Amino acid sequence: MITWRQGLLGLVLLALAGLLLAWSGLIGIGAGSGHWKITDLVLHWAMEQSVETAALSVEEPPELDEPRQIRRAAGHFEASCAFCHGSPLRGRPPLSDRMTPPPPPLTQSAEIWSAAELFVIVQQGVKFTGMPAWIAPERADEVWAMVSFLRVLPGMDAATYRDLAFGTGPPSEADADPVLANCARCHGFDGGTDGGAFPMIGGLPEAYLRDTLQAFANGTRQSGIMRFAAAGLTPDAIARVSAHYASQRPPAAPPGEELTAGLLAHGEKIATEGIPEERVPACGRCHADRPGRNPAFPELDGQAAWYLEEQLHLFKAGARGGGPYARLMAKVVPGLTPEDIEAVAAYYASLPATPQAAATR
Amino acid sequence: MSRARPFPAAATLGILALSACTGPQSALDPAGEDAAEIAGLFWQMLAGAAVIWCLVLGGSVLASWRGRSLWQVATALKVILWAGAVFPTVVLAGLLIHGLRLMPGLRATESDLRIEVVGERFWWRVIYHRDGAPPVTSANEIRLPAGATVEFILSSPDVIHSFWIPPLGGKTDLIPGRTTRQVLRPTKPGVYRGACAEFCGASHALMALTAEVMTPDDFARWLQAEAGPAAVTAGPGPDAFLRHGCAACHTVRGTEANALVGPDLTHLGSRHTVGAGILANSPAAIARFVAHADTLKPEIRMPSYAMLPETELRLLADWLASLR
Repeated sequence: MITWRQGLLGLVLLALAGLLLAWSGLIGIGAGSGHWKITDLVLHWAMEQSVETAALSVEEPPELDEPRQIRRAAGHFEASCAFCHGSPLRGRPPLSDRMTPPPPPLTQSAEIWSAAELFVIVQQGVKFTGMPAWIAPERADEVWAMVSFLRVLPGMDAATYRDLAFGTGPPSEADADPVLANCARCHGFDGGTDGGAFPMIGGLPEAYLRDTLQAFANGTRQSGIMRFAAAGLTPDAIARVSAHYASQRPPAAPPGEELTAGLLAHGEKIATEGIPEERVPACGRCHADRPGRNPAFPELDGQAAWYLEEQLHLFKAGARGGGPYARLMAKVVPGLTPEDIEAVAAYYASLPATPQAAATR
Repeated sequence: MSRARPFPAAATLGILALSACTGPQSALDPAGEDAAEIAGLFWQMLAGAAVIWCLVLGGSVLASWRGRSLWQVATALKVILWAGAVFPTVVLAGLLIHGLRLMPGLRATESDLRIEVVGERFWWRVIYHRDGAPPVTSANEIRLPAGATVEFILSSPDVIHSFWIPPLGGKTDLIPGRTTRQVLRPTKPGVYRGACAEFCGASHALMALTAEVMTPDDFARWLQAEAGPAAVTAGPGPDAFLRHGCAACHTVRGTEANALVGPDLTHLGSRHTVGAGILANSPAAIARFVAHADTLKPEIRMPSYAMLPETELRLLADWLASLR
């Protein structure tokens, strides 16, 4: 008969023995041999349970799986995910099998995990593995774009992957600049929207583009995709790329879904008069093309509607930093309802992109 | 000497206490008929309260000295009835009637001037209505002609504020969804200070108001000038104002800035203060407010323009200060 006193003593001794073992340095932590089967099973089971539970409170957005979402994330997948997970183009990277646990090839992920579960994994990462959390977890829109991409990745052929991750734009003399060539995988050499997948950056004021890239690089503007892309850029590269895109004149984004005249009229009213009773100033007072305007304020004419909408919602949520002037927007947006935001975004998207103001040069 | 000693101490304390009774924001230093009535009522009540306090205290002292031997039970019951029930009822009823009799004056229907005041977070929109001429909009400062009956039309778009210029009259709430009124009859020219008297948000205590009572002639001249456009409407100052988006919220008459979100700045340079009573007006104060609005006034709707280059800030501030 073991008394509780003996039992307790036994437990303490067991713990001490464990510590002694770790202290001796005899436990190998090398990644090459993998886990014991039992360790692997237990860890994976715990991870599955955790992801399933976290996914209970995740709601799928309506625009999941839209082509522009897929295209939007593909370039980032190539830049930051394919190195470990591989891709249809480069196959399984040789390093992957030497990692513990080895990163899954993602050929079946969309069948194993629901969209909400993929969201949890991509946004939060996985402890005790090499899987990092999303750089800017507040950017759910970016994470959902990545989920959309992951859902079409299984079975994708190399040519499709190449078009999605590298773009289909024609080669250009700008290819000679590797920084610009990397930007152009998504934004094209003209800074266009590529069918509405990306914000239109061609033709925006150079000062605004420079401020923005700087803000992405140092994290003051939240983005998992753009922080990764901009983080290593030298001030010189930022200036070069900004000057390049400021000089471009890309075609306008394709029009969005059916736009009603009422929606556009409401948007135009907000853009030109604001909503004085809600203390919302007129957008055009800062953003309209006028001589002498502050070049840190971007033009909005012809910008992609989804992008403007997303930015306004992020401003409202306090999750949209940017250059030194971005903070002005925090005081502009509180009076805007989701309907107002939709209307004003649709209105600006419906305008032809203005030739850049002479005054901002 | 020994008897004179406590006197200076008492006098000092008394003067210290009384010093709070004067000044630009004192209800006990009235500069208008309504405030005078309120101050009169206050002094009457204070005197009455002092008498009653002495009687009650005297009664308590007497009762504790003499104990049960003072009165027969029947007499004591009568004292309780008369001094404890009848007397307070009569006094309070008298006060109520007196107080109610003062009220119609606050609701005068005939006025010489109508001023609309809208409580914003955290400033005052002020609109002077004129017969046969367009209204004149200003902010954070109210000018009044001495001897006139002025009706205030009070409203608020979102939260409750209260309009109170203690030397001129009582306070009246500004309530979202309804219009309230107040009538003031200022008598003594001078510069007074009002304040928001109902908690309205983080910067409630920073929501003050300047009230200047002027002679009728001075007031007429001032209103005429206030109705006019800004003194300088073109040049580097207005350019900077438009360049950085100030015109998205503010009006400066004579320029293309005509927005109604923030205070009208047409004659900012002529106002006593900047930021609704928080800084004495000067170019430096304007520059400071523009650069640090939301640290000077937490939760204010104006964004801070700390990112503006010093030269731009100075252009803006010098121009705005020149708008007299």
